[in-house]
Amino acid sequence: MVTRKTGYPIYVRILLLIASLLVLLPLTGCQRRLDEGEVREFIDKADNAARKRFAPEICELRGKDFELHLKFQGHEEQFEPTELTMDRKLFCKEAGKFSRLRQYKLERNSIEINLANDGKTARVKSEYVETLPYYEPDIMPATPDDFREFQLVETTDESVVGIESGDIVFLRTDSKSSQSLIAKNSVSLPYD
Amino acid sequence: MRALAGPAMLLVMVGGFLVFRLTSKEDAPSRDFTALEFSGADADHTGTCYSLDTILIANRQGDAVRTWTSPRDDVWTLKIENVVGGYSGPVHIFQTYTFEKHDQQVRLTSVDASKGLPTEIAQNIDTLLEGPKAWRSTPIDRCLEPGATGYLFEPRR
Repeated sequence: MVTRKTGYPIYVRILLLIASLLVLLPLTGCQRRLDEGEVREFIDKADNAARKRFAPEICELRGKDFELHLKFQGHEEQFEPTELTMDRKLFCKEAGKFSRLRQYKLERNSIEINLANDGKTARVKSEYVETLPYYEPDIMPATPDDFREFQLVETTDESVVGIESGDIVFLRTDSKSSQSLIAKNSVSLPYD
Repeated sequence: MRALAGPAMLLVMVGGFLVFRLTSKEDAPSRDFTALEFSGADADHTGTCYSLDTILIANRQGDAVRTWTSPRDDVWTLKIENVVGGYSGPVHIFQTYTFEKHDQQVRLTSVDASKGLPTEIAQNIDTLLEGPKAWRSTPIDRCLEPGATGYLFEPRR
């Protein structure tokens, strides 16, 4: 067997290898195509991050230009639904507030995945029901348990997911939610 | 040459890291800008005895998102936004303040805000000054002297 010495010290060769890998890393993202299985796995991961209410994990699954557009019908139907758009920064701040909840349940009722022809993005339509405490507006809860009713929020999400820096992320989500209230003692949710 | 290859590679990596850090850092005004005295709402723009920094810290809302942008030299815009729960659902609220440097002071020159929040400059200046008063914040050096005066300024006893 013939071996050829480069003459460079070992640490230079390691540095060269790391530098080459760093240069080539973004190219792997360009070549990657999504498949339905990994998109489904990604949505499962995102749902689990929401169930844990751990903001950094929820946030890292959103792309740098992520936007959430939300249309929300409150339980008082005499009011028009509210609409708002959040960029990634605001969304992540909201995810931080979400972590204060001590009782939360997220159920996914359906999921539909459509891959784009070029395989770089996918549209995901999913339906959820969330159960969480309802804190009345203008009342500052003294503790996380200071509420009288749970809210059920039924949501249809239509998201675009794609690849950014080699990872699958949400690029955009359009959500339509409707809220109803149920008595606190009619639901038993564990504290976690 | 070979002896230089290692240090050169190290230099490239450190340089790359620094470029990444500098480009990924969010925009914000320098300390020189935020340490300037905030001007009052009167015609003479009398100093308020508080630096912009002090005003902003005293008015800080923990849950709000703050974003600084600079449209031109010596002008900075601060957008403060939040999502609050209303009877009809979550509502996005925001206030955008534009601050401009004038000599050794910084003036509030425009305010934009979501529906229901005041945009009148004088009213916003007076509201912003309630923060440092309530917190008994430290005034700038000039106003630590006995008998110092400033717009709506009440010296400590």
